[in-house]
Amino acid sequence: MSPLLKLEDLNVSFATPRGDLRAVKNVNIELNQGESLGVVGESGSGKTVLSRATMGLLPSTATRTGKILYKGEDISQLPRDEVRQLWGTGMAMIFQDPMTALNPVRRIGTQLTESLTVRLGMNKKDAREKAIELMKRVRIPDPEGMLKKFPYQLSGGMRQRIMIAIAVSCDPEMLFADEPTTALDVTVQAQVLELLTELRKEFNMGMILVTHDLGVVAGHTDKIAVMYAGDVVEYAPTRQLFNNMKMPYTEALLKSIPRLETPTGTRLPVIEGRLPDPTKNEPGCSFANRCPYATDKCRTETPPLTDGGNQHFYRCWFPIGGGK
Amino acid sequence: MSDTAVAPTAESPAVAIKKARKKRPIGFYIAASWIGIVLFLGLFGWILPTPKWDSPFFDSLGVGPFSKGHILGTTQDGYDEFAGLVNGARISIFVSFIAVTVGGGIGSFIGITSAYFRGTYDKIVVTFFNILLSIPNLVLSLALLSVLAYSDENHPSSTNRRVVVLIISLIVVIIPILGRIGRGATLQWSSREFVLASKSMGTKDFMIIRKHVLPNVAPALLAIGFLAIGSVIIVEGSLAILGIGVPGGASWGSMLANGRGNLEFSPWEVYCPALCIAFTVISCNWFGDYVRTALDQREAKI
Repeated sequence: MSPLLKLEDLNVSFATPRGDLRAVKNVNIELNQGESLGVVGESGSGKTVLSRATMGLLPSTATRTGKILYKGEDISQLPRDEVRQLWGTGMAMIFQDPMTALNPVRRIGTQLTESLTVRLGMNKKDAREKAIELMKRVRIPDPEGMLKKFPYQLSGGMRQRIMIAIAVSCDPEMLFADEPTTALDVTVQAQVLELLTELRKEFNMGMILVTHDLGVVAGHTDKIAVMYAGDVVEYAPTRQLFNNMKMPYTEALLKSIPRLETPTGTRLPVIEGRLPDPTKNEPGCSFANRCPYATDKCRTETPPLTDGGNQHFYRCWFPIGGGK
Repeated sequence: MSDTAVAPTAESPAVAIKKARKKRPIGFYIAASWIGIVLFLGLFGWILPTPKWDSPFFDSLGVGPFSKGHILGTTQDGYDEFAGLVNGARISIFVSFIAVTVGGGIGSFIGITSAYFRGTYDKIVVTFFNILLSIPNLVLSLALLSVLAYSDENHPSSTNRRVVVLIISLIVVIIPILGRIGRGATLQWSSREFVLASKSMGTKDFMIIRKHVLPNVAPALLAIGFLAIGSVIIVEGSLAILGIGVPGGASWGSMLANGRGNLEFSPWEVYCPALCIAFTVISCNWFGDYVRTALDQREAKI
């Protein structure tokens, strides 16, 4: 059986006045039906661009190369109208900020039934019933009253639930969740993630969960891809990654999560330095100038994506715990 | 209705409207009632027991206001002033309404689609708007009228043709004004995530424009549309002064133009239409301003 989604050498670059900005470089990722992949990285590492590029939702200034195999078929070269047929029913996306992802001047009901009537050709009555059913699924209290409300009348968590309901309304097989919990507070975050995992299992969807929080992906993914400056720098099954991380960047990310045990007044751990200039294409490891273990070799030679066994891939000359 | 999911600041739309109503300034009421009067006279003026506007009363040439049978007097040629104003309201409403709806419709369609699709089409549209805007309104209308509806003693052009060309020239004036507003507002709204979200569900572009962009852009267009009605009336008046307005002394501008020569004998011939134009333009501006602030408040709340 071919995987649900397979990216082969996916590259995305943006034309800017300072030259080409390479946002995603040679990404290879595989995802099976019902599986969940976490894409982790700091701001600007290309994780949002990766998910939008996979769907084909990039602005016109972007160029995309490489193959996107959806159920074994390359969709990267399809004309826009055929890709659109996949959107909603094949692949759907949940956006980062539920405050801006709902149209402020239209009622929840019309926004929720829009894709049902437009994409699935339901009549108004059926769409309304399906919408109520969907809202029950995402555990929204009083779904019938909710139909008449405007987005500004809802809290962030409720809006994100509505977004999720809209995204799964046409039974997609592949769900992209682009930082679905970043704009929410921690208690709601957990509920929304639980809900996503539950829906994924129930509908047997593939899910790509984009986030900057390693803690978020830990309990809700099967595989994790860590991105840095457009590269996938470590790619492994979740358990394998947490037990046996190879890449200094992943370690640094994990260390930078604040802990309760640390005494008050301790400085928050950070990763010093910044991302390299994405318009320059310098040799060497992109993380070298921030890496505590970097040597001269790291600064001059680009490390390849190494297979460490157990489906564990990393992009480092000196992986933690040694090589294979 | 359970309120568990509702933010505490939310209030029902009815309460919000009531609150907004309380804050309305007196100017709004004056402007609204003047617009109401003009609309009434324009649409239903013919049922009023006014004298005929288009045939002179030879027994009362140039009588002053408040004389018997002629409440605002007559012109030196014997035309009834009040009947003329009522008829002028009809012409003004007709001309400005057609010009603003048609011109605004075309302009905002071009503007919204250009901002939504971007690319070369957008560049062409922006250049086109800039060229139109760089030509002074009056000169543009003047040129169009004298080319498309040229007339002198030997070659009189028909009244209908002149009115049509006048409206076309006003439409051309309106297109870039509302087009730019539509484009600007769309640039702001079409980059919002809900447009992308709708797109990611497979909605077609024109459906997105109709359902997601237009409802958000409409308030801005509406407010500027009201201001545009005011400027259309002024442009029409100015063209009439130059002798190429609605022919036959029918519009307020033409009445003004015809009465200009009789200023020392019967000043009311000038004052009455001039005041009508001034009041209407000010009212439209006030009303447009009010619409804009009212909708701004709504937006701030969202």
